[in-house]
Amino acid sequence: MADKSKVDQLVDWVDERTGVKAAMDEALNEPIRGGARWAYVFGSVLLFLFVVQVVTGIAMTLYYVPTADHAHASVAYIQKVVPGGAILRGIHHYASSAMVIMAVVHLAQTFLYGAYKQKRELVWVVGVVMLLIVLGFGFTGYLLTWDQAAYFGTKVGTSIAGEIPVVGPLQQKIMLGGTELTTVTLSRFFTTHVFLLPLLLALLAGLHVMLFRKAGPAGPYHNLDDKKVDRFFPKQVFFDSVAMLVVFIALVSLAMKMPAELGPVADPSSDYLARPPWYFMPLFQLLKWFPGHWAIIPTAVLPVVLFGLLFLLPFLDRRSERNPFKRPIATLSLLLILGGATGLIFLAKHQDRNNPEFAEKLKKQDEEAQAFFKVPFEPQVIGATTALAGAAVANGAGAAPPAYVEHCADCHGANGQGDPDLGPKLSGLSAKPQRTQDDLLKIMDDARAYGLKKPMPANFPDLSDSDKKAIVEWMLKLK
Amino acid sequence: MSVHQSTEENNERRSFLGVLSGLIAAGISAVLGVNIGRFAVSPALSVAGAENWSELGPIGDIPEGKPIKRNVVVSQDAGWGKFQAQRAVWVVRNGEKVTVFTSVCPHLGCTVNAKEDAFICACHDSKWDVAGNTQGGPTPRGLDALEYKVENDVLKVRYQDFKQGISQKEVLG
Repeated sequence: MADKSKVDQLVDWVDERTGVKAAMDEALNEPIRGGARWAYVFGSVLLFLFVVQVVTGIAMTLYYVPTADHAHASVAYIQKVVPGGAILRGIHHYASSAMVIMAVVHLAQTFLYGAYKQKRELVWVVGVVMLLIVLGFGFTGYLLTWDQAAYFGTKVGTSIAGEIPVVGPLQQKIMLGGTELTTVTLSRFFTTHVFLLPLLLALLAGLHVMLFRKAGPAGPYHNLDDKKVDRFFPKQVFFDSVAMLVVFIALVSLAMKMPAELGPVADPSSDYLARPPWYFMPLFQLLKWFPGHWAIIPTAVLPVVLFGLLFLLPFLDRRSERNPFKRPIATLSLLLILGGATGLIFLAKHQDRNNPEFAEKLKKQDEEAQAFFKVPFEPQVIGATTALAGAAVANGAGAAPPAYVEHCADCHGANGQGDPDLGPKLSGLSAKPQRTQDDLLKIMDDARAYGLKKPMPANFPDLSDSDKKAIVEWMLKLK
Repeated sequence: MSVHQSTEENNERRSFLGVLSGLIAAGISAVLGVNIGRFAVSPALSVAGAENWSELGPIGDIPEGKPIKRNVVVSQDAGWGKFQAQRAVWVVRNGEKVTVFTSVCPHLGCTVNAKEDAFICACHDSKWDVAGNTQGGPTPRGLDALEYKVENDVLKVRYQDFKQGISQKEVLG
């Protein structure tokens, strides 16, 4: 017990200088009208998910590189090699969806309970802004893997932003950092995703909680339970903790059972069929029904109207009635919108499954992604031969051997493409006479015997037999 | 939501539910903490083992008696990449006898230069003779010689980095 009093002394010492006890009391002794409830856990779960995202996100920046030429390799490294990488990335991936779900559930609960009423307008308005930020997180985070789905999904997403009248084209250019989706776009999305949005969300979350504490919890929508009052601690804290645990177990299980996907690196020349993440699916489905100029309805009119109504809701609905059963229009509108959005998601999936052309293409893409996922990680080769490696992959020959780079590339090109003044191209050699593998090896020992003139050296005394063999094998693979 | 610290007033409220909440918070933190810990630390502990032989050109091209600088390409495994980086070495030939030194000063890692018939490190004025023996300055040891071999009259070297600031030559990693 002597120890304990020392702890108490320390606590007192800190408290006298910080006021921590009063702050804790303020935080934990908040009265909750009508008592603690499971219905009130969603806000805390959202805060928890945000913390999880910040923690896992910061961890991933240890290895992630936000440039178009390395982003995908660095994500693959995190996913396939680094211990704990797959689980952290999986948690981050599924928590992003969980945040959207929880934000909608939190909003729906607040809406149904009429908790935006009675001087809580600003709590609500700040909350709606935060919902937009959560969607912004999804949009900017999706590109960061720089795989096929990321690249083409974002290409469509930014194009949609560009379709919006008046502000669209400028907005699209600012998003992309130019006219095309490039490494500059990736940098912007990265900065937005890891610096701007988290800072903004943290500030707004603080404001949201502050305003909420000022107004006090709204309590149940009917006044029957009003006499019962719990403090925030311990009962509501316990409910919140259990909800967090359930969500966390779900995230970890998903991350382990169904790892976050990572497809092959973005190939802008491919005909990849882009599909958005599920929370943008309703918009995707609506776009099918509004062709041409009418696309403005789902891309601009509908979101503006929907979020406009959400923002204005506490100012439009001034009645004091909070019981959802006595507010049939409000309740039915919510059910209609949520049901409609869910229906659109399922319809989009259903149509993809039943369109033979799309279904086949999507299945093939899925198989390609899974195949890539299973291949062991290959480090990206950087340095003297990077440019060659990148170019040669397209030729089907892989990176040029170092001996080629040193002795041959100056005249025959880094990629065997040749140089008009110095040396002929080396692709398609095997189709020519006197150019078998054996011939090519002999040429490197005595070029003059094959009638080759300067500047081709007569022989290569610096090259070992294995170097020569590597060069010849590489040349013969060039397409 | 953290559980309250012990104060007299709150001891009463430190109920069963509070302890359970604390356990949940601790459990979640532990799962995240362990994974972030091994994520951050374990790649740092695995040693990159690229010890390739690099070519320094025909042995005949190395001048007699005078140090000559050559670049080698070393391959570094670093996270998601295999980085081909250039390193400079000093080659000294005395008839059949060849010595290849790294150009990294054993003192604090500056680049060693050759001046006439000696090696110097301009950072802190360390000096060595062409055989790599210390002639002055703060360097804790002679220049670090690298393993080499001659194949088909081509000189090859196995590049390595060594610990700095100690009197013994010890491979890094």
